[in-house]
Parts: sequence; structure tokens; C-alpha cells
Amino acid sequence: MVVLNFTLTPEAASKVHDLLLCLGKFSDAVAIEARSSRFTFTALNSSKSAYAALTLDAHTFFTKYECIPSRGGPDGRFTCSISTKALLSVFKGRLYDPLGRDGSIDRCEVSVSDKPSQTECRFIIKMICNQGVIKTYKLTYEAVEVMHALFDRNVAKNRWSMHSSAVKEYVEYFGTKTEMLDIFSGEGDDAKAVFKSYTEKISNGKEVLKHPLVTAVAVNTSDFEEFSVQPGLHIIISVKDFKAIAVHADTLKTSLKAFYSQPTRPLQFSYGCDGLACEFTLMTSGDYTAPSSQAPTPAPAVQILSRENSRPESRTRSFEMPPPAEPASASTSFRSARRRNPGSRQPAASKPAAPDPDSLFVRQDEDERWEPLEYNQDEEETLGWDASAEHDAAVFPTFRDSGSLARTETEGSGGGGGDGGGSTEVVAPTQRVSQIKGLW
Amino acid sequence: MDDEDELPILTAVSSSARQLYLLLRCINFSEKAHVQINEEGLKFSVDEASVMEGSAFLDKSLFTTYTFRAPQPPQHSQHSNSDDEDEHLSATPTFQISLPSLLETLQIFGLTDPNNNRPPWARDNPTSTAFSNNVLGMNNMCRISYDSPGSPLSIILTEATIRTTCNLSTYEPAFAEEIPFDRQSLAFKTIMRGSWLFDAISELASTTPERLTLVARMSHGKPYFALSSSGSLGSARVEFNNNPRGPGRAPPPPPTNANANPDDPLTQPNLLETFQLSDPDTTLRSTYKFALIQKAARAMSVSTKVSIRADTQGVLSLQFMIEVESGNVSFVDFRFVPLVEDDEEGGEGMDVDETMGGRSEDEGGTDDDDEDM
Repeated sequence: MVVLNFTLTPEAASKVHDLLLCLGKFSDAVAIEARSSRFTFTALNSSKSAYAALTLDAHTFFTKYECIPSRGGPDGRFTCSISTKALLSVFKGRLYDPLGRDGSIDRCEVSVSDKPSQTECRFIIKMICNQGVIKTYKLTYEAVEVMHALFDRNVAKNRWSMHSSAVKEYVEYFGTKTEMLDIFSGEGDDAKAVFKSYTEKISNGKEVLKHPLVTAVAVNTSDFEEFSVQPGLHIIISVKDFKAIAVHADTLKTSLKAFYSQPTRPLQFSYGCDGLACEFTLMTSGDYTAPSSQAPTPAPAVQILSRENSRPESRTRSFEMPPPAEPASASTSFRSARRRNPGSRQPAASKPAAPDPDSLFVRQDEDERWEPLEYNQDEEETLGWDASAEHDAAVFPTFRDSGSLARTETEGSGGGGGDGGGSTEVVAPTQRVSQIKGLW
Repeated sequence: MDDEDELPILTAVSSSARQLYLLLRCINFSEKAHVQINEEGLKFSVDEASVMEGSAFLDKSLFTTYTFRAPQPPQHSQHSNSDDEDEHLSATPTFQISLPSLLETLQIFGLTDPNNNRPPWARDNPTSTAFSNNVLGMNNMCRISYDSPGSPLSIILTEATIRTTCNLSTYEPAFAEEIPFDRQSLAFKTIMRGSWLFDAISELASTTPERLTLVARMSHGKPYFALSSSGSLGSARVEFNNNPRGPGRAPPPPPTNANANPDDPLTQPNLLETFQLSDPDTTLRSTYKFALIQKAARAMSVSTKVSIRADTQGVLSLQFMIEVESGNVSFVDFRFVPLVEDDEEGGEGMDVDETMGGRSEDEGGTDDDDEDM
């Protein structure tokens, strides 16, 4: 039986409304992961190309927060999934109204009813309004495992940051039905960053010329708070995702930071304030074979090579081939074992790990391990989704950023709460290969 | 028919079609409305499948001129006999009219006069003088007349120099008895702000429920009134307590008496201004079809107060007090027939409520239901 109770101020409840509105643009259902020290809303879109994790700090965001997961001790977690629509109908707009008009609340109490004595488990939200009106909602939830995307900011050499209000202003210029957004960093002294929204398929069979509007917003790099991007680099993401992020970031009036390495590798947007930390990891596309004029990191030739490794289909397939006799279950167990104890040397390490079939991004680290030439480049290449949906969930590949690699996950592997990455200093989606490599 | 010497049954002039529109819009959930005319005013009523009815009363005080002449019996002999007898007995001409058409007509010039929103010097009409229609309040004038049984209801709208005459066909009344509501044996009565009820109903609507359950009881000597519903996404319940239970905040100001002005936020009156239960020891619980209650949402949103009453048979009456522009109040009434609960379903509903509410009172509630069955 899990204990999860927390109380929100009207301001915080209204922030929850804003973030749900944003997550609703990604997915129909939000996943909730509650730990003793933080509470995370995550959403993964249906094509698994965008992942959002919005973390609420237990001490600063909530007025009262108590979470005692049923298993896993202090590292345990409670996870579930709730329809975004249902949550949004509870966390409406106008929850916070300084004038205390109708619809505003005094406080919001949330608890989870998961008693074995009761037939129904519900996520219970109590909105206590002024003047004695109490609204109680009991939402059904689905017990699911929560997946996290891993993102290594050390690899993402390209980064910029800009105030969200400016970004939102640029976003407003984009055509409503455009699909793709090309972020281009110009070359030369008077460099500009260009945000170009466009639609890839202009004609579609009988239909012709669907929304051929292309909007390019050129921003002087000096308008950025920080801008350190390889000149000439194009990176392409979805306009819809970017819009949702920009609009939500603007509700917090904070700076939006972007981290990325190169096309076809994930890009991360990050912002936050007041105990709310938001991270969006998005798939990118673009021409990764045509490199920019100069690659900043190691040597250009190597860089190209490594990019070729990241070609999604062909390359990984070729690595799937060599160990044909290995049964799927074996490879799975190997993989999970590796995840469970990333620092230990596996006897099976001479075999390549089967590329995760669900992986959104190619795991270049695995590829490169088989390229003697590339071996030294390993450290810049770790990143990928935790696509472990089909595993038994207990394994939760988050890695400490602190360099302590001896984290083992042995206890509690049988159940949902058993994942251990839960101690406070774990930065969930970030992993440094250099740390792992040190033990190999 | 020689109408020359006959005066029309009804002549009414209103300075604002908007008032009439706002009231009639509250009951706009059916194609045809019954109109009854008498000395006091016009009563529009609509009903849905005989399980719900709504009526709006346009008091004669809403009109600047209201002239009603009871129809002369000899005149009716020319019409069918049955009609004649009905009307003769009641002396209140009754007919049916298309309510959507009437509403369309009333807003033919738009609901707001654009000139009123601007300061005088910025108005479109530069020739505004002390005697112009704007100043005299003559714009948007609406004249309703009904000549004789069987004649159309004619509505003449005047704005500035434009005069529009609309003749709406009247139909034979097809009534339909009223839903019986026994004022003498009320099981429950409360009065609260209409916006609270509107808020509650719109909250509950988010669960897309089939049914709405109303619970009223005395809880520790304090009134307790709750509306709950459940749907596929979960259940929701809105409770109204007279004393805000706010441990997290400063203690609420002591509740003032029921006569306090409800619009003044500083006095913070009781949420439930009146609360009467015929039997305070038991819990009243009845269920209604949510979709029907929701049809009264428009009235809830514009009303200042609502009186919620249920008689011993469970018929629910919602009476909305709506303030119109002139400062007068008008009333819009709704009545709902309750859903008869099966034993099983009733039991389920009770379980839900027991888990939600305080347990001690719920035991009493269960007993009550047993007695009823």
C-alpha cells in the first residue's frame, strides 16, 4: 500500500494546470512518478519522438508532501498513468485568483487511495474552495511503469539559451499547420540564428498545396543569453512540440535552454524555476551526412565516421547479425544485467548488445564499441532512450552523475517500486559514458 | 372576423429586447414553448419528455406598457368549441410558439447597442441630441402584440429609424400537465448563489456522467449539501458546507445571518442561505438525469440565487432568481422528475458516497434508505 499525500497552494495548482496543458500536447495520458523527494510528470508521445519530464521538487513546490512507496525503501517510487483530459478537468485554469473569485481555490489536497481493503484504487484530488465548497475528484489510474529518456548533456556541445518570452514571440509567427522547424545557426561574424517553420509534404496525392507556408525568423545571436552552436548546423524538430514548450516556458517567465549535438541525435530543452524543472527530449532530424564546414570536436573525419554510425537502420542491423545463435531471451537478460550493473565487466561483453528494437535513437555507444578506430571517441557517444518497456520494469537505467558507478540494483527487482535510481542526487536522463568507460 | 372594434388581447412594450432575450434563453432547450398570457405577465414554458419542464415568467413590470384584455367569449364561438371552453374557463389565452424563432427575433438587432459601449462623443451617430432615441432609451424597443386567439404573435422591433415587424405563427396548445410538485410537503429546501450551482454542475460535467446524485443532511448540526456523479474517468463530488473548514488558512469570519447581502464578498455569508430538511435526522438522497439538469445551466450561470427544493416524492424544483437590467428580479423555474433507483444501483451509489463522506452520518443515511424501501 502506497502512501502519497500532498498539498498544493493555488499558485502551484495553477502551475500544474499549465504543465498539464503542455503535456496534453504530447500525449493523451501523463505518467506520474512519485518519489520521496520529488514528483515527476512524464509524457511520451505516440511516435516516441518526444519525451517530457516535469519534476516538482517535494520541498519547494508543495506545501506538504509525503510519499512512502510500498516497495523499494527510500529509493522506491509510485508510478501510474492518468488521462490528461481527466486531470485537466480537475486542474482547470483560474484556480489561482488573487481576488478570490469563483473558481479559485484555497488549497488542493491530493492523495492516492490504494488500500487492499477497498475494491477501487483512485487518485483523489480535493479542491478546497473558499466559502466552504469542497470539490472531490476520484480519478481512475492505470498502474504503469514510467520510462525515462536519457540525455547526455556532455555530448550536446551545441547550446543556446534565451528568455522564453522572446521565444514565444517568435513561435507566434509560425504558420498554424506547419510541421517542421529548422533551427539553423548562421556563419560569419554577423551570425544569426534562423528558426524556419515549414511543411515537408506540400502535395499529398489528390490534395495539392497543403499549407506551403514557410516562416523564417532570424534572430541575432547577440539576442540570445547564451549561444554556442557550431556554425552552419541545421537541426530539425517538430514545430508543434516547440510551440508547446515555448508557450509553457513562457508561463514560468524563465529562460529556455537548448542542448543538442547534431541531427538525428536527441535535443533537449530545459527550463524551470521555483521547484519546477522541465526537460523535453526531442528527436531531431536533418542531414547528418553533410557536415558543417568544420566540426568543433575531435577531428572532422572521425566526426563523419561517427555520424555514419548513427545511421538508423542499416548500421544497427548489421550489428544484429553476427551473433545469430543467441536467443532473444539471452540477449535480453544480458541487456538487463548490463543495465543493472553498468560498471561491472560482463563476460558477455565480447558480444554486442542487441540493439534495442524499441530504441528511438541509435545507441552509438554500442556500435562504436566494435570499431577499434572509434574507441577513443566513445565518451561523447552515449545517449538513448530507456526503451525497456518490455522488460520487467524493475530495471531503471538512470545513472548517477556523481561518478559513483557501483550502483547495483538487486533488491526489489521483482516489483514496480524496485527501481533504484531514486536517491536524491540522481539526474535521471543523463549519463556520462566516461564514467562507465572508466571501469571497462 | 371583424377586428376593427376589437382591441388586441395583449399589447406590451418593452424598452429592451435584451432583457426578454436573456430570460427566455434560459429555457431554450425545446422547439416549442407554451405561452400563457394573463394579467400579471407572460409565462413561457417548455418541457422535455414530461420528465423536465422549465418556465420563464415575464412579469408585466418588465414592460413599460402592458395591456391585457381577457378575450371575449362570443368571439371564441367562431373557433372550435373545445378551445373556446378551455380558454373560457381559464381566461388565459394559451398557445404554442417556436421558441428558437422567438429568440432569433429578439436579437435581430444584436444584443448590445454598439453605441452604448462608447462614450457619447465617439458614437457613430453624430446627430445625437437630447431627444435622440439613445438618450430617451427608445432604441431597441420591442412591442409584442397578440390580437386574438389564432392570430400570430407579432413582435415589432424598433431601432433608430429601422422598424422590423415579425409575425410568429402560433400553434394550438398541446399540453401536457405540469409536473406535480407538492409545495406543502417539502423534503428539502436550500437557497444558494446560482453561480455556485453552475460551477458545481460544470465541474461534474467533466466526468461525463449519466446521473447526478443529490445528498443533503445535517452533519454535526451543520448543513451539508453535495452533488456527485461518476463517469468513466472517475467520480466527482462537490460539497457545500456552511462553515469553511480551513485549517490551513486564517479562521473564517463568523457566519453572518442569512439576510446578509450575498454579493458582498467581505461579509462572506453562509453558502447555503436557507437549509431545511423535513427530517433532519436522515439523509436525503435522490438521483436525476444529469443531461436534463445540465439544460438548466444557462439559467444557473446568469442567476443571482437559486432555490433548490425537493418534495417528498423526489421531484426537484430549481427556481432561479435572475436580475434584469432594470434592477427587477425575474424568476425562471425548472422541475425534474427523479430517477427511480434499482436496489443494486442504489447500493452502489451509497457505497461511493460512504467512502467519500463522513462515515458516522452515512450509517444514518443507510438506515433512512432502508426505511424508505
